[in-house]
Amino acid sequence: MKKRDTILTVLFIALLAVFLWQAGNHLDSYKIRILNLCAIYAILALSLNLINGFTGLLSLGHAGFMAVGAYTTALLTMSEATKEQNFFLVPIVEPLASITLPFLSALIIGGLLSAFVAFLIGAPTLRLRGDYLAIATLGFSEIIRIIFTNTQSITNGPLGLKSIPNNTNLWWTFGLALATFILIKALIDSSYGKALKAIREDEVAAESMGISLFKHKMIAFMIAAFFAAVGGGLLGSLIGAINPIMFRFILTFNVLLIVVMGGMGSMTGSVISAFVVTSGLEYLRVLDENINLGFIKLAGIPGLRMVVFAGLLMIVVIFFKNGLMGTREFTWNKLINFFTIKKKFRKKEVGQ
Amino acid sequence: MAILKTDAITMRFGGLVAVNEFSLNIEKGEIVAVIGPNGAGKTTAFNMITGVYCPTQGDIYFDGKKITGLKPHTITKYGMARTFQNIRLFKELSVLDNVVIANHLHLKANLLQSILGNTYPDILDRFWQPKYKKEEKRILEKSHMLLEKVGLINFIDEKADSLPYGLQRKLEVARALATNPKLLLLDEPAAGMNPKETSDLTSFIRQIRDDFDLTIILIEHHMQVVMDISDRIYVLDYGINIAEGNPYDIQNNEKVIQAYLGVADDA
Amino acid sequence: MTFDLFLQYLTNGISLGSLYALIAIGYTMVYGILKLINFAHGEIFMMSVYFAFYGVAVFSMPWYVSAIVAIAITALLGMGMERAAYKPLRESPRITIMVSAIGASFFLQNLAVVLFGGRPKAFPDISLLTDIMHVGAVTFQRLTVIIPVVTTILLFMLLYLVNNTKTGMAMRAVSRDYETARLMGVDVNRTITITFGIGSILAAIGGIMWGAKFPQVAPFMGVMPGLKCFIAAVVGGIGNITGAIIGGLILGIGEIMLIAFIPDLTGYRDAFAFILLIGILLFRPTGIMGEKISEKV
Repeated sequence: MKKRDTILTVLFIALLAVFLWQAGNHLDSYKIRILNLCAIYAILALSLNLINGFTGLLSLGHAGFMAVGAYTTALLTMSEATKEQNFFLVPIVEPLASITLPFLSALIIGGLLSAFVAFLIGAPTLRLRGDYLAIATLGFSEIIRIIFTNTQSITNGPLGLKSIPNNTNLWWTFGLALATFILIKALIDSSYGKALKAIREDEVAAESMGISLFKHKMIAFMIAAFFAAVGGGLLGSLIGAINPIMFRFILTFNVLLIVVMGGMGSMTGSVISAFVVTSGLEYLRVLDENINLGFIKLAGIPGLRMVVFAGLLMIVVIFFKNGLMGTREFTWNKLINFFTIKKKFRKKEVGQ
Repeated sequence: MAILKTDAITMRFGGLVAVNEFSLNIEKGEIVAVIGPNGAGKTTAFNMITGVYCPTQGDIYFDGKKITGLKPHTITKYGMARTFQNIRLFKELSVLDNVVIANHLHLKANLLQSILGNTYPDILDRFWQPKYKKEEKRILEKSHMLLEKVGLINFIDEKADSLPYGLQRKLEVARALATNPKLLLLDEPAAGMNPKETSDLTSFIRQIRDDFDLTIILIEHHMQVVMDISDRIYVLDYGINIAEGNPYDIQNNEKVIQAYLGVADDA
Repeated sequence: MTFDLFLQYLTNGISLGSLYALIAIGYTMVYGILKLINFAHGEIFMMSVYFAFYGVAVFSMPWYVSAIVAIAITALLGMGMERAAYKPLRESPRITIMVSAIGASFFLQNLAVVLFGGRPKAFPDISLLTDIMHVGAVTFQRLTVIIPVVTTILLFMLLYLVNNTKTGMAMRAVSRDYETARLMGVDVNRTITITFGIGSILAAIGGIMWGAKFPQVAPFMGVMPGLKCFIAAVVGGIGNITGAIIGGLILGIGEIMLIAFIPDLTGYRDAFAFILLIGILLFRPTGIMGEKISEKV
């Protein structure tokens, strides 16, 4: 069984590579941007799902980690000249001014820094119960944002950073998304991952079976923060400009929404949902803008897009409580069964 | 040397004294029962011993080591495992996973080794197996063996909460055994069982005590089980230890009879 | 810092704190009864300000009529939202209902953008409230004193309702033990609806006074106050009405004092609430008036 699965997975990756190559050459930049965004949100969703879906901790602080990643990556990849341009009000602090690093290094450093921040935040908050953890993480995320708004010499404060080198392309986003998926899946399937699920199911029992709650929650939290930062770094590099306003709670909510809709506790669900929701949000943009159908002009109503979206979200949440996949995963087995069962029925009919 | 010793442990919740200066002493290999009317403080005593509560007063020694105030996961690592009065299985996980998880505490591979070990494709196993994969294999074998022992081998892929009540209790025992305990605490293992099941349980407890070289403490209301299986019995009433001794002595103890007056054991 | 200046800041702080308190009560009551953080409460507050604004600006009602109408409509909005977004999810896992609450919050924010336009509007000036008064060397709007007075009156009314009426007893019963209250014949649905109604009414009264004090009306004006007021409720002890008042006052006075004594930290004004939150969660998670609840194992 496993051998077949590995071959199918390798095949899938190969096909994906071909698709990306073709897409890079033939699709217009708008569609490429959407694809990039989808892959980035897949990374973000997978990382949030690790904490919320698999460990059962309600964390609402993802935007904070994304901010750490975005700013770190940006500051480490921007050239000295660009930095000087940006920091016209207050010059940037010295060591940062002259450092320029390659993209991957910057992303990883951002990730490590974010994991460290997660450690600092997690130490006091991870022992809090349910809702309190949610609000505490939300609070910390806001504190991070407010700090970034007020540290002019490091982050350029409310002005934000512009002209961030556009390193992000389909290979980076999809490549890192794939890496994220593989690594987090490896974690989930391992003994540690099972321990996390045990914590989700029943903390008291898990602890009594020898699982250190604090250590394992921290593991999940830090790893999730790492990948959230990578996602943030990619996002910053894609858009080319970041500022603290971008990292308000609504960003965390966006990712949370994707995770809930895909099914908390399903990795494939998170990925599928990321693609569906991100592209859906983009296409809903038409509601905000004027639609010109030739003979009819429908005036766009700004804000309608989010109204529809929030409305749809609530409908999904109320009527499809477990999201798309619940805790199930899409496996090669299921796909093959899907096709072979149909054959089985046909054969039976013929036989009779 | 006593495998478990408590030194006048007391548990106060605000103004309520749930357990009052309870001292017990358990030798290796014994099967000891803690009995008493409902609300006597038995589970609270268990919770103190296993680290879920920190005693307001008093100390607890396990295998000569002072464990007062330590967290449950540390105490379990030292070799103490338990089951719960209101079954606390990992409901949404499979029967097999419930037991496999209880092996995690003794995992030698660290986090990085586990993640990387799992990314390593299975096809290459014939050339070299990562440390983690070897351990995973061993854990699976051990878990299968335990499940077979409790008679759950046919249910390994079922969701834990789909099992009937009696089997859920057995799963809890299998799970506890997976942690490699020296001392096993069973909280009302016979609850809800009919007479045939309770006699099976009695032989089962003796068997695991012998097969796994255990010491066992149980809380139980089923007097038949208690009298059949216990080497010694402690009786709690309103948090106080009112009697201690072998089954015959306890059965004829005035104070014990009084405490239980009107409370029949369940059918 | 002269004493007079200090008094000036203190009065402002108490005033702001009272506004926070009124909104915080809504959070604390809903959490007490449903164990739900009503993320959309800030938007209920925001809507009430818009309703009052439209009453005066579009329908040319005198301000006190507009206020009453706004309060009534806001109460309906709050109760309606409960029926639509929370009731269907009562048996669901906590995160689902939280997602619904957040969804409702964003829905209302953007609905406001769609209906009222994104540009801020000016709340009508109510001279009765905004007239300047002088007491000694301290200068303030009449409103600054009216707010705490109104809040205190409402607090006593609410405490009377909760402690001395049948409805109040039902509310207390449901928040202690939902299932048993239902089994004892308490109309849980009605009780919950009333709770939301009261919370919304208080938020609306707070909203109108807020609009008078800070005359800018915008669709996202409820976000920060919403968050801060929730924090106030947590600080005071979530589920406890008196706690909400105390929390609100601490937050309001603290915020003003921070800016007063350390003007350089004005940019961190909002962070004060979050730092206070982290502090209380670390050292006294059940809040100032809260009781410890231990889980039976």
